[in-house]
Amino acid sequence: MPINRVTQSMLTDRSLTRLQGSLSRLADIQEHLSTGRVLNRASDNPGDAATAMRLRASLGEQQQYARNAEDGQGWLASLDSTLGSANDMVRRARELGQQAVNGAMSQQSRDALAAEVDQLRAALVSGANTTYVGRPVFGGTTAGSAAFTESAGVVTFTGDTNPVNRSVADGVVVDVSVAGPAAFGADGDNVFDHLSALSTALRAGDVTAVKAGITTLTSDSDRLVVARAEVGARTNRVDLAVTRAGDLETSLTNALAEIENADLPKTMVDLKMQEVAYQASLAATARVLQPSLVDFLR
Amino acid sequence: MAGTFGSINATASALRYHQAVMEVASGNIANVATDGYARRRVVGEAVGAPAQPAMWSRFDGHGDGVRVGSVDRLVDPLLDSRARREHGTQSFLDTRAAALARVESSLGEPAGEGVSSALADVRRAWQDLANNPDSAATRTQVIATSRTLVDAVAGQRRNIEAEEGDQRASLLADVGETNTLAHDLAAANEAITAARLAGNDTSSLLDSRDQMALRLAELTGGTAVENGQGGLDVTVGGVALVTGGKAGTLSVASGVNPDGTSDGQPLGLAVTPPGGTATAVTGLRGEVGGTADLLGGTLPALRAGLEAVAQQVADTVNAAHQAGFDRTGAAGQPFFAVDPSAPGGPLVLLVTDPAQVAASAIGGGPNRDGSNGNAIAAALAGPTSSYQQFVTGLGNDVASVRRLAATQQNLTDQVDGARDQLSGVNIDEEMVTMMQSQRAYEAAARVMTTLDSVLDTLINRTGLVR
Repeated sequence: MPINRVTQSMLTDRSLTRLQGSLSRLADIQEHLSTGRVLNRASDNPGDAATAMRLRASLGEQQQYARNAEDGQGWLASLDSTLGSANDMVRRARELGQQAVNGAMSQQSRDALAAEVDQLRAALVSGANTTYVGRPVFGGTTAGSAAFTESAGVVTFTGDTNPVNRSVADGVVVDVSVAGPAAFGADGDNVFDHLSALSTALRAGDVTAVKAGITTLTSDSDRLVVARAEVGARTNRVDLAVTRAGDLETSLTNALAEIENADLPKTMVDLKMQEVAYQASLAATARVLQPSLVDFLR
Repeated sequence: MAGTFGSINATASALRYHQAVMEVASGNIANVATDGYARRRVVGEAVGAPAQPAMWSRFDGHGDGVRVGSVDRLVDPLLDSRARREHGTQSFLDTRAAALARVESSLGEPAGEGVSSALADVRRAWQDLANNPDSAATRTQVIATSRTLVDAVAGQRRNIEAEEGDQRASLLADVGETNTLAHDLAAANEAITAARLAGNDTSSLLDSRDQMALRLAELTGGTAVENGQGGLDVTVGGVALVTGGKAGTLSVASGVNPDGTSDGQPLGLAVTPPGGTATAVTGLRGEVGGTADLLGGTLPALRAGLEAVAQQVADTVNAAHQAGFDRTGAAGQPFFAVDPSAPGGPLVLLVTDPAQVAASAIGGGPNRDGSNGNAIAAALAGPTSSYQQFVTGLGNDVASVRRLAATQQNLTDQVDGARDQLSGVNIDEEMVTMMQSQRAYEAAARVMTTLDSVLDTLINRTGLVR
């Protein structure tokens, strides 16, 4: 647009517009600096805002996956130690049976062995009812407080075999429980029955029955070892999930920061530049509005 | 052959003329900062031979001085009409941009404590419940975070409704201003016609006429055409609002009650031409057009968008919740309802007893299964992404209307600049005119002195011999 005539109001209007523009750019940078963010509302950059909201949602998910997995770690750790000590007890019971079979032994000694087997059985029952945050870890989703109940010398499974699932990653669900029967044997044929039978056989001095008991306890032990190995494998999965959720959290946080956060050095430089520009336009305005022909006429 | 006092008359005309020039220049300088003032220029005319000398007569003069031919008001009707159009579009876009930006900043997204953060908290609470379904604390947490979500959605709906209320009030104020202006413009039109007939200067009346027409365009996007008698006839939405000395009215036909509340109907505007009947108008620009656009489409659509998100939240959570079982093993109840007329709506929380939260996927009796909590948390991914789309859509709209307004501002500034180039007062220029006239006046006075001395010689000294 060729300017044929310039008027005083054009000068003032344009100067004002430019000062306003300069000042509003300063205000933008000021906002970026004071909030530390370049993305303060969706319209600042709708594309980035969409990404930022998605990233923030994923970040929340990963944090939750980590929480879920940490809860699962607690369950699995308590299962692992319980299964470990249960297996130790079964092994000890087998050793006791072995002692009774091997050496020439008085009935009194066998009774002592039987007493220890009874002790082991009691400890095993209490181990099978181990709880984590108030829930029996072998009881599935039972509402009751014990996975196994003993009545008239018979231990029965009173929990359920439903999985206790934890979401540890997108679409990855890990069962952090072990069903009681899977670790200790089915009702009527469980490790507690076998220990009772061993104890009875020891008291009765029935070597054949003790031998049979040792055999069944071996398979009980195998089952416990298998269960523990399974717990170990799941612990690995959950541990890995915790690590991965942590890694993802870090990378998502970084990505979010890259989109949302102001680059401080760059913003400071921008601020300085806009300050200079603002001062320049102030100076220019002061100079351009000052003179008129009036000043130069006598 | 000029008479004895011929030159004196010519000089007197010069004194008169240059006084007029200085008067107009001083008027221009006085109005250098007056809004809507168009500069005037005195057009001088040399007084000379008559264009049609009398029959058999002969003009033997050499110029009988100067006279004021006219005082021109330097305007370009084309530029004025362009300015009205661009100002109308500008205020239309500015109104929309300002309202949408207010709604957007009240959302508090993407990083604030808005609905998305409330949704994230709800999902977290359901997951925590899944981990620990028999804890009263996690059950209560599900209810508490759901209530926060309900409040957050209600807050956003309130923000949109408040903006609608503000827009209704501003629409009524704008309509009132439009009608006052239409009335005043009609009066100015009449005054201009009368002044013209009387041969008076109409410049100031034309200034205020143009300003009123510009403001009418800013309000309604109305177009104005000169009616041949110095007045401007204004048409709004294709219907005459001002015709000569008569004004019609712009009115809100439906949608807004006189007290600024909504009457539940879609917004309708009507123009009653002078002496005519009310005619519905649409597609207005200007502030009224922008407000009508917001009230008639944009804001209700935003409210509906938010309601759709609420509906989706309710549907997904209800479906998942009803597939689960509560603490006693009974099937889950509907968790949310959607009721746009509820005071805290549109989302309404139905389950308030922590024991009724259906965390379990296994029915038939109490248990500690929490997998339904996971299912609900997973199902909430759908509404979360819908809400993100809602926010991004609004952000896009705001960015787009802001860009349009900025582009339009360039155009408006350009037209205003072009008008100012023609009609604005330049002090230097006026000073030059003043000086020129001052000098011419001084010179004319000197001519007068000379003539006086010439006559003095003739009258008083003739015949005297020293």
